[in-house]
Amino acid sequence: MLDEFTERAQFSIPQVEKQKLLEQELTSLTEWHRGRSAEYSRMLSANALPPGKGLAALPFLPVNIFKQHLLSSVPEADIFKVLTSSGTSGQTVSRIVLDRVTASQQSVALTKIMTHVLGPERLPMLIIDTPNVVKNRKELSARGAGVLGMIPYGHQHLYALNDDMELDVEAVRTFLDRHLGSPILIFGFTFMVWKYFYQRIKNFDLDLSNAVLIHTGGWKKLLDEAVDNSDFRASLERDTGLVRIHNFYGMVEQVGSVFMEAKDGYLRPPNYADVLIRDPITWEPVADGQIGVIQVLSVLPRSYPGHSILTEDLGIVHGVAADGWMGRRLEVIGRVPKTELRGCSDTHAADAERSH
Amino acid sequence: MTHNVRTRVPFDSTSQLAEVVERVQSAPTLGPFDDRLVDFGAEFSRRLARRARGYSELQALAFWMRKAELVRMKRDFSRLAGLQTILMPRGTVVHFPPANVDTIFIYSWLISLLCGNRNIVRLSSRTTDQTEILIEIISDLAREQVYADVVAATAMVMYPHDSATTSELSASADLRVIWGGDTSVNSIRRAALAPNATDLTFPDKISLAAFDVETVQALDDEALAQLAGRFYNDAFWFDQLGCSSPRTLVWVGDPVTARLVERRFFDALYEVTLAKGLTVEIATAISKMTYGFSAAVTHPVTEVHSWGNQILLVQDAELAGLPDGFVGAGTFHTVTVGSLGSIAKIIGRRHQTLSHYGFTRTTLTTLVEVLAGSGLDRLVPVGDALTFNRYWDGNDLFQSFTRFVYVEEG
Repeated sequence: MLDEFTERAQFSIPQVEKQKLLEQELTSLTEWHRGRSAEYSRMLSANALPPGKGLAALPFLPVNIFKQHLLSSVPEADIFKVLTSSGTSGQTVSRIVLDRVTASQQSVALTKIMTHVLGPERLPMLIIDTPNVVKNRKELSARGAGVLGMIPYGHQHLYALNDDMELDVEAVRTFLDRHLGSPILIFGFTFMVWKYFYQRIKNFDLDLSNAVLIHTGGWKKLLDEAVDNSDFRASLERDTGLVRIHNFYGMVEQVGSVFMEAKDGYLRPPNYADVLIRDPITWEPVADGQIGVIQVLSVLPRSYPGHSILTEDLGIVHGVAADGWMGRRLEVIGRVPKTELRGCSDTHAADAERSH
Repeated sequence: MTHNVRTRVPFDSTSQLAEVVERVQSAPTLGPFDDRLVDFGAEFSRRLARRARGYSELQALAFWMRKAELVRMKRDFSRLAGLQTILMPRGTVVHFPPANVDTIFIYSWLISLLCGNRNIVRLSSRTTDQTEILIEIISDLAREQVYADVVAATAMVMYPHDSATTSELSASADLRVIWGGDTSVNSIRRAALAPNATDLTFPDKISLAAFDVETVQALDDEALAQLAGRFYNDAFWFDQLGCSSPRTLVWVGDPVTARLVERRFFDALYEVTLAKGLTVEIATAISKMTYGFSAAVTHPVTEVHSWGNQILLVQDAELAGLPDGFVGAGTFHTVTVGSLGSIAKIIGRRHQTLSHYGFTRTTLTTLVEVLAGSGLDRLVPVGDALTFNRYWDGNDLFQSFTRFVYVEEG
């Protein structure tokens, strides 16, 4: 079953067919996990199913549950690795149990998706970050993990920034000159690409028309500067000729099934995955074009019950694409705004006092 | 060495803490419940009532310190004196109220003031509209000759969280009052007090409610709606995270009837949330949802139910303590037991308030006797969980703020 998602070209399955395939696979995954994780089974039997039909009727877990419970659907002896989301210290992190099967499925899936965008050859790779971001492998930051995950898709890597986020313009020029006329890969976090790369080189008349830019990390900081995805794309194209730009959306709770930005500027779920948008009051799936909370579905997680997750992100599905890259056209708006509840326990004040 | 603070009461200025302390400690004071103190409180209440529209906590505060109530307090206070004891103030009381319950600082300050003390209140730098209204009224009163003397022995100050300033302030106290839960208490307690001074602390507390199933069952829809309305105030103010906000509902009676009554009760409560226009932020709604999944693992949960995003009901099969990470904002554990006395086994030092409905006084006092002081400081009717009075966390604040001077004739 999984083979079908892997063997068919990514983003090629028409939505109606894909939904049928996913529904079948995800339904059996739900039963798989229910039978193997006592915790998951208790969660499902206590809680009602979400409102909706088809894919939407499948149970989901809120993403933060992985910060509170170590959920596993494999015997302890089969646990190969426990992935953690990399929060700043003090924050609780998600813990994701992987066995060899799931880890390998994730890695195959990611490769399928990336090579669909980059082609089968590894490309010379410019990393818009500092080399030190991947130095401490034991305590990788979210950025470090992102960079490390992308490194296999390039070669002749150049880290373009130093620790003060200053661009080494000379090194970048040399790198570009050396690979003049052949395709290169640029990778970085959205905000850093904009602020520390684009802003710095926009007047240098660099030619990046042969480059593919892959970026991720969210738009919050750029939206604070009133830059959205279309500004981002238009500016890069105007000043550097860079047109092959792919933002991606993924999370540690569903490693492998990353959503890639298509030519139209919207994200697409890969073959392995789909997305639903739910109304934050009724939790019913919303109509296309309506904003709501993003639920992600993926057939990859077998070692932990993470195949259907309600995120804390807001998004919009702008209809279904029926040519080019198929599937739901997702726009990620950003995090659900944080709320501060009250109560009479004043931990904020105490923390501040203590840290003095 | 002294530290700079921003004074908000009596007036807004930046001063050195040493000067503030000196001013408060050299101001003239009045005797406990002197008529001028009572008049001040009553006038404060009148002005607050006019400005409290839309702020239910301010309305409750204004009502609590209305003239008739102050006169009653004065009478009750005078009864503390024995034949050979004279009631005198403790001296300088330093208050550390919580940052996030806007009215606590007034309750704490006003009782201490009425008992004749000098007061320094450390305010959070993050003030809300409600806090600003209160500060403004006090400052206005301070400008008027009749009340200026009363306010002269008070300072309310702000400073960035700084343990050195907290130490300097603490050193001036005869009594230090620390609100805000365990972490605040532990953190502020690190600052030493003068040898003769003491602490009055309000650590983390949790609360619950108990209903007699048959009594609730007998209610018609209108009476049930009224009960739900009272419970709404207990549960939804302070996002249900107040020390006195009920988190667990105990149904006492027949389990089958209890399920039906529970359904009716929460239907009615949901109607109240709709009528009040209660909105729940998305992040909070998701936290509550997450709690429902998590509790299914950590608790003996039979079922999780929701009424919109407003109410999340976690039905427990048996009595159990609450896990860390309670999210509040309309999250209720429910459990059914055969008798009220059986809740004793989960009650501990952290339990503060039992709001109750449908029990006799004997049933309640029996529970208190069984507990023998091991937990539960207040047992109040549903609707009064958050109503402040002199008895709090097992203390009588009138006593705590008073020095008992013993006089024996020769």
